[in-house]
Amino acid sequence: MKIDKILVSIFQRAFKSITDEMSISLTKTTRSPILCEAKDFVTGLYDAKGQMLEQTENLPILSFSLGPVCRVILEQYGSDIYPGDVIIHNDVFSMGNQNNDVAIFKPTFHNNVLVGWSAAKGHQADIGGAVQGGYNPNATEVWQEAIRIPAVKLYEKGKLRKDVWNLIFANIRLQMVQEDIKAQIGACTLGERRLEAFVAKYGLEIFESHKQALFDSTEKMMRAEIKAIPNGVYTGGSMVYFDGKHKGSKFPIRTKITVENDNITFDFSKSSPQTKGFVNGIYTSTCSAITLTFLQMVNPNIPHNEGMIKPLKYIVPEGTILNASYPAATTFGNHLCPQIADSIFKALGPAVPERITAGWNHLLCSLFTGNHPRTGKKYVDICFLGLKGGSGALKGDDGYDHIGMIDASGGVLDQDYEMYEQQTPHQIIQHEYLCDSGGAGEWRGGLGTETKILLKGGDTTMVVFGDGDVEPNYGLFGGKGSMLNKIELKYKNGKKLIPMSKDMIHGIPDNTLYYQVAGGGGGYGNPKKRDKEKVLWDVKNEVVSKKVAQKIYGVKK
Amino acid sequence: MKFKVGIDIGGTFTDIITISETGDTTVHKTLSTPQDSSIGFINGLREVAEMRSTNFEQFLSSIDTIVHGTTVATNALLTLKGAKTALITTKGFRDALEMRRGIREEQFNNHYKNVTPLVPRYLRFIVDERISAEGKVVKKFKEKELLPIIKKIQEEKVESVCICFMNSFKNNSHEKQAVKFLRKNLKGIFVTASFEVLPSIRFYERVSTTAVSAFVGPIVANYFDNLIKKLDDIKFKGTLLIMQSNGGVVTPDVVKKNPAVTVLSGPAAAPTAGAFYSALLGYKNCITVDMGGTSFDAALVIDNQCVTSTEGSINRYRIALPSLDIITIGAGGGSIGWIDNGGLLRMGPQSAGAMPGPVCYERGGTVPACTDADLILGYLNPDFFAGGKLKLNKAKAENTIKTVLADKLGLSVLETVAGMYRIINSNMAQGVREISVERGYDPREFLFIVAGGAGSIHSSEICKELEIPMFVVPNVSSIFCAAGMLLGDLKHDYIRSYFSSFTKIDKKHFLKVFNEMKEEGINTLLHEGVKEKDIELYPTLDMRYVGQYHEVPLQVEWNDILNFNLESVFEVFHKEHNRQFGYSLKEEQTEMELINIRLRMIGKMEKPKFLSSKGEAHNLEKALKEKRKAYIPELNVMQEIPVYDGDMPLGGAVIKGPAVIEKITTSVFVSNDYDCLVDEFGSFVVYNKSVYPDGFKVEKKKIIEVVD
Repeated sequence: MKIDKILVSIFQRAFKSITDEMSISLTKTTRSPILCEAKDFVTGLYDAKGQMLEQTENLPILSFSLGPVCRVILEQYGSDIYPGDVIIHNDVFSMGNQNNDVAIFKPTFHNNVLVGWSAAKGHQADIGGAVQGGYNPNATEVWQEAIRIPAVKLYEKGKLRKDVWNLIFANIRLQMVQEDIKAQIGACTLGERRLEAFVAKYGLEIFESHKQALFDSTEKMMRAEIKAIPNGVYTGGSMVYFDGKHKGSKFPIRTKITVENDNITFDFSKSSPQTKGFVNGIYTSTCSAITLTFLQMVNPNIPHNEGMIKPLKYIVPEGTILNASYPAATTFGNHLCPQIADSIFKALGPAVPERITAGWNHLLCSLFTGNHPRTGKKYVDICFLGLKGGSGALKGDDGYDHIGMIDASGGVLDQDYEMYEQQTPHQIIQHEYLCDSGGAGEWRGGLGTETKILLKGGDTTMVVFGDGDVEPNYGLFGGKGSMLNKIELKYKNGKKLIPMSKDMIHGIPDNTLYYQVAGGGGGYGNPKKRDKEKVLWDVKNEVVSKKVAQKIYGVKK
Repeated sequence: MKFKVGIDIGGTFTDIITISETGDTTVHKTLSTPQDSSIGFINGLREVAEMRSTNFEQFLSSIDTIVHGTTVATNALLTLKGAKTALITTKGFRDALEMRRGIREEQFNNHYKNVTPLVPRYLRFIVDERISAEGKVVKKFKEKELLPIIKKIQEEKVESVCICFMNSFKNNSHEKQAVKFLRKNLKGIFVTASFEVLPSIRFYERVSTTAVSAFVGPIVANYFDNLIKKLDDIKFKGTLLIMQSNGGVVTPDVVKKNPAVTVLSGPAAAPTAGAFYSALLGYKNCITVDMGGTSFDAALVIDNQCVTSTEGSINRYRIALPSLDIITIGAGGGSIGWIDNGGLLRMGPQSAGAMPGPVCYERGGTVPACTDADLILGYLNPDFFAGGKLKLNKAKAENTIKTVLADKLGLSVLETVAGMYRIINSNMAQGVREISVERGYDPREFLFIVAGGAGSIHSSEICKELEIPMFVVPNVSSIFCAAGMLLGDLKHDYIRSYFSSFTKIDKKHFLKVFNEMKEEGINTLLHEGVKEKDIELYPTLDMRYVGQYHEVPLQVEWNDILNFNLESVFEVFHKEHNRQFGYSLKEEQTEMELINIRLRMIGKMEKPKFLSSKGEAHNLEKALKEKRKAYIPELNVMQEIPVYDGDMPLGGAVIKGPAVIEKITTSVFVSNDYDCLVDEFGSFVVYNKSVYPDGFKVEKKKIIEVVD
């Protein structure tokens, strides 16, 4: 069939418009602030073989596991897929990326032929398991973390399977999760309707051939980007600290990147074996982390479809910390992204110094649960506003302030302060940039933040998970690292408590002060070379102290 | 004879429309004077007097109202040339304005920068005060804390100050004290507080909107002072009204208090005009589009009301005041065609702008733009662009497209330009789809109204893609916004946060809050000269199901408010939620909660009759200028088609597609699947033949209803 090149361009824009529309619908209809405020979800369209047509990736770490799950579904159901089916999935041992990230898939048909899928995956406020909210730092097996949902039909031929629905939601604490899953199904229905109309408009033959032409064109773009990296084998590494079980434990991540013309292979075989705790990655979360890191090094205008990921090869053997074997606990796996990114940037630094950034702030996060005295209801809230540090600087530009972990890259929003104080009993005392938190350099690291919250309501539970409290984010080419992450509780009686980086604290009394530092990003290049005007401007704005200006940047007023 | 005048000042042109009581209309375009746009304003009036062969003073004395749209505030935000502004906020919250909740819009682009904050950090001051989430004073505000800040503000020669304290939507006493003290001690400096600008919940939205207001405040105030003085000097005795972002008009006094209401003043008039034209054809809903040199704007009119939203921003600066919901995408006559690394042709969003402009302008442009394609496709006349003022070089455009695009794509020049045309049409169609579908509407049920410029060349294809059966190019399309200004009403929006579950609402208090807003609105409108009988009230409740995070604004009946008829409100809410998001939680009997209450107060204005008949149909053959080869998208061929002079009186004529209609200010392409009816006022009604096989007729009765 002859390819109409112009139509290929139109296909790309149309697919994007569909996944965007699904994303907007989810933002507006979901209830958990993790979804509707922080946008911890992704929407996508896939073809009949599970190949990605397009995605809207609010939080990229979730994103690149939808295609693999779609292929699992196809294999599992074979021809047993009908119009009106709705399939739910979260199982990390069949290509899910995290237990809390629950996916909904809906098939699309044209003249009774399966032509594609719409999907939406979101981080649920609860997923059963031992701890509300899902983050259980004491877990050693998946069942202590969550209910496992391998691909199962929630609806068959348009009919709700009430028994299946009840079985799943009998194992999840919050009613809200049911409503959020309904919203995800709604978004998939929107996607299904539009994809159906699209295929009907052009016919299956044109759809198939032009979709393939789009993949080919995108693949060509990606290959051109890879080709611009000098051939070679590059190695880099980083360290994961503390598995939640053994104090002082550490686990190396090691990457070997091979660039051969327009092919690139990311090999993490030499990384540490899996841990006994929940600090373990899963194949798809690791591949997502690799992909989103590499995407930051290439032309940001490459369309996101199967052609984009085709030239990337991943080697992540089972049994390693980045691909734990059944039935390991893995909820922390998404948050190994910062270390994976570090190792890739470090490896490729010598080859493409102008494309990499200095170290990004790693995630250190807390999740509060308790009862809200004013509403009498339970709440779960990830403290997004406190956890977001700065990004690493890169050649030509300072890092981005208060952007948060690289796995979200500025896609996760802070809660609004006033809404936060309505939805939780807590009172925010401070949330500001932290002076000198951006790593010094010719280009300065993005700023971190300082947060103080007065915990109210009594009997608050705090789950802490993350990292970045041992080793500072690295600087590059003479740039300095940044400061460490820190969380501290100051009790009313004067006692202080510094939780471990994976921890759970129960029964926090009324009026305890929560204190958090999210570090900045690393600096790039020699700070002495920084434009003097920029240093003085930072001093004037009190984001760099006079002392640092003088000592590190060598700038006196 | 009395006149009404609409003046729309844009970057390049100042558009003026003058309409007499009998509908006698003069349309004029003059060059804008960006240094001091009031000069262009007065010059334009002078020129109109000349055009009408009237003495200037006499002409002025016969004008009873001038409605004015200005881009002064918009430009200050776009160019960051506003006032040197300071912010005073609650201790602990110094950086909310700059952090923007930690968003980076381009996630994979590490070179993407945050916006320059409207108030730099060193001018963001804190005071140790605090109101709790319930509205109680946690830490008392002390005036003396302002003293060192005042000193610093004076030292730094700050021109404008804004105040935004935590939870002031619950209790504004601290902000009130602070603003009073500052106004007393900072004479000559613009001072505003968030409770005056946007007294509603969500700190970031409020601080950002308040900062915008302060940033543009002094510039807007100076502009109006200067303009009013100039109008006084020439002894203008009528009323001056200003177009706001919400599509209504107000007196300059109101604008000076909250200048942020004019940030979208210019484009806000297009949907207002659209509502008028769609009503003429018996439509309640329409989409208005405006394709300019660099961008394509689209807005919705539902039930004859322009759709407003509080989710707007300009240049990434968040403004949460109700503004007409206009989406802008990077598609215009100047949008450039380029080939991506994957070998695909793309259009925009980068634009060649007016300078150097498309290749065919011969102003040094070297990149092929949409206008180059439109020219080669035969839709534009190289000798009659802007009435012949700008000669277009077709050969040069063809050469450039061949070398820059066609050869690399392996396509002919014609295939390439046809591709450019298809791609940009598809981009615009997706933009229109987003604005309608995103809000839960089906574009197929809308009339499509095209304002001026390049839009009417592209509308046949956009409408086909969206299955919209008909589009209209109004007679005043070239000065559509200026015309829209004369069709707006006085409009004031009030908001109060009222965070409560519906079961816990105290009826008395609820009504008291409404009545406060109503009183304020009535006083303002009476002051603006509106009669009490011409005042209309539109209450809106921002509400949601308990547990949701995003509220849905729900317009309700004033009677339901007065009678506290919540059951009826709930019923409407379930329906609206289902329409917008595909489900409701009615069966589950989910509780609902209230976030904000809003009241829109409208003072009905007398509408001008600018629909003077353009005379009966002339012989079409007389209007036939030439036959020209043009691209027929349905058939994918170049074909000789008739070109008509659209400036001749053609009322009642039916022009069979394919055809091109040329006016000095715009060209209309009627493609193969369409025919065009010229109505008696000279507007072009272009309809799909397959939907209207027997042609389309405008019903006289409907026109009379709208006009009278």
